[in-house]
Amino acid sequence: MNILTIPLRNTRRKWVKTLLLLLVFTLGVTSIVSLNYVSSVVGGSLEKKLSAYGANILIMPKSEKLTVSYGGFALGDMALGVHDLGEAEVADRVAHINLKERIAVVAPKLVTMAKAGDTAVGVVGVRFDREKVLKGYWAVDGAFPTADNGVLAGAKAAASLGLAPGSELTLNGTPVRVAGVLKSTGSDDDSVLFAGMDFAQAHFGKPGRVSFVEVAALCAGCPIDEIVAELRTALPGTDIQALQSIVKQRMYSVDFVKRLILTVSVVILFIACCMVGVTMLASVNERIKEIGLMRSLGFSRGGVFAIFCFEAVLIGLVAGAAGYAGGYALSLKVLALLDMAADAALTFNPAHMALTGLFIVTVSVLSAFLPAWKAASVEPSEALIAL
Amino acid sequence: MFEAKNITKTFNGEGGETVVLNGADLLVDSGRFVSIVGRSGSGKTTFLNIMSTLLAPDSGQLVYRGEDITHASRARLNELRRRDFAVIFQFHHLLPYLTARENVLLPYMQGLGPVTAEVRKRADACLDRVGLSGKGGKLPGHLSGGEQQRVAIARALVKESAILFADEPTGNLDKATGEAIMQLLADLKEDGLSIVMVTHDNEYAARADCTVSMAEGRVAA
Repeated sequence: MNILTIPLRNTRRKWVKTLLLLLVFTLGVTSIVSLNYVSSVVGGSLEKKLSAYGANILIMPKSEKLTVSYGGFALGDMALGVHDLGEAEVADRVAHINLKERIAVVAPKLVTMAKAGDTAVGVVGVRFDREKVLKGYWAVDGAFPTADNGVLAGAKAAASLGLAPGSELTLNGTPVRVAGVLKSTGSDDDSVLFAGMDFAQAHFGKPGRVSFVEVAALCAGCPIDEIVAELRTALPGTDIQALQSIVKQRMYSVDFVKRLILTVSVVILFIACCMVGVTMLASVNERIKEIGLMRSLGFSRGGVFAIFCFEAVLIGLVAGAAGYAGGYALSLKVLALLDMAADAALTFNPAHMALTGLFIVTVSVLSAFLPAWKAASVEPSEALIAL
Repeated sequence: MFEAKNITKTFNGEGGETVVLNGADLLVDSGRFVSIVGRSGSGKTTFLNIMSTLLAPDSGQLVYRGEDITHASRARLNELRRRDFAVIFQFHHLLPYLTARENVLLPYMQGLGPVTAEVRKRADACLDRVGLSGKGGKLPGHLSGGEQQRVAIARALVKESAILFADEPTGNLDKATGEAIMQLLADLKEDGLSIVMVTHDNEYAARADCTVSMAEGRVAA
């Protein structure tokens, strides 16, 4: 038996009120926990899906541009010192940066010119499995190439060369077969032929080399600049550029979901805190006689303060634990309903639960702080009027 | 042992200032039973509250065992209320969610040390002393008014206080129960407890060693 016996017994005596308060607070915590779980999964999933709309980092060989003119006649820009990149080396170094987990796709490109019959055409060597991830918006008439000599024709290139799925042509004299034709994308992809990387490297005499590499990075929780900085360190002698507008657009979508969830969480938490504060205040007013009695028996202000704070601790502890468990279960249910359970690697984390409990206890005590302070400030003489 | 000297107290209300105490004095020797009588509004309850440190005087002096406690710190006042002074009220306030025994042990829940088996035994002995053997496990709601007042007295006894301040301890009780409470107070006085009791009942007041009367904020006799 000690001073904590008083709040324990009081909460037991007023069990209906305590239960209702616990229910409200627990529901609040459940909502916040499930919202955060669901938002993290949805945010991650959204970001992964958004990464299918193009790269946000370009790795290119470093080069110098020289603008040449002679006698008033502009010869245009000339690139100096352009060296192709080693595909394996780039892939290996990218795979070893600290933020490697944030890299969704690494898609190398080998760009060259070839003769299709008598017509010059741009040919881009790609890894089709990665392009499919990077360019989820591609729609293909026919199929993606599977054979070594299969190509995918951009819409404009196919029109100018008279190609259709199943057509055959020669590239610098080597016969190839059109597996599919890209529907118009409105981008540079429309004007070129896409060939398999191995075929392109072998056929154009650049084994193991690529012209540039497109990277799609997942940027939630880390700024793109950090990834770029790491890549620059890992790949000296290359020119690495972040496509900021794409990054910002992607981050805006993800951040919007997160901000929305955060706002809703804060509102729920605020309402729950108000409930605790108002209930505590009512409890202090109702128990003014008890406070007066305790003070007349020599209870210090700190003692009275502790009694009311401990009630808030009890409520916070139970609501935090029950709310976390409820929130976890609810988020599993919600993710299953959203058909995203497979994407969710949710595991019940006792440490996370303890932290949530601690946070809720702190919030609960802060909510009860003013009422508890009011109780502690009651002088026996004030309570005597009630007595 | 305890002395109140020239105590004054004025309350400010809607109707202006009301002088409740105007130089009240009282001397309580160790082991004495002093009763304070007076008409309603004579200031006897305010005087008792000031002596028991529940209310601060405007001026005057309170001396307990040679120590001037008029302007004692909050901590010191808490200490006095916790150990030396005990107060019982007309409405025998008990915490309704604690059993009779736990109410008796209430002073031990903060500052008087842990509730050991020995302290529990003493609480039971105090309940026996006030005639509540076997009722320690009951909640106040299951006790009569007289029994509740006895619990309040047992609460004062358990910490072995030096002075008991009693404000109309029989005021809310029937004659027979009031008589029993008065007998209990007389027994406690015989055991050496100093008692200051405010009452409007002259018959009960006469049981004290000394009776003083208050009028117009002063101790008249």
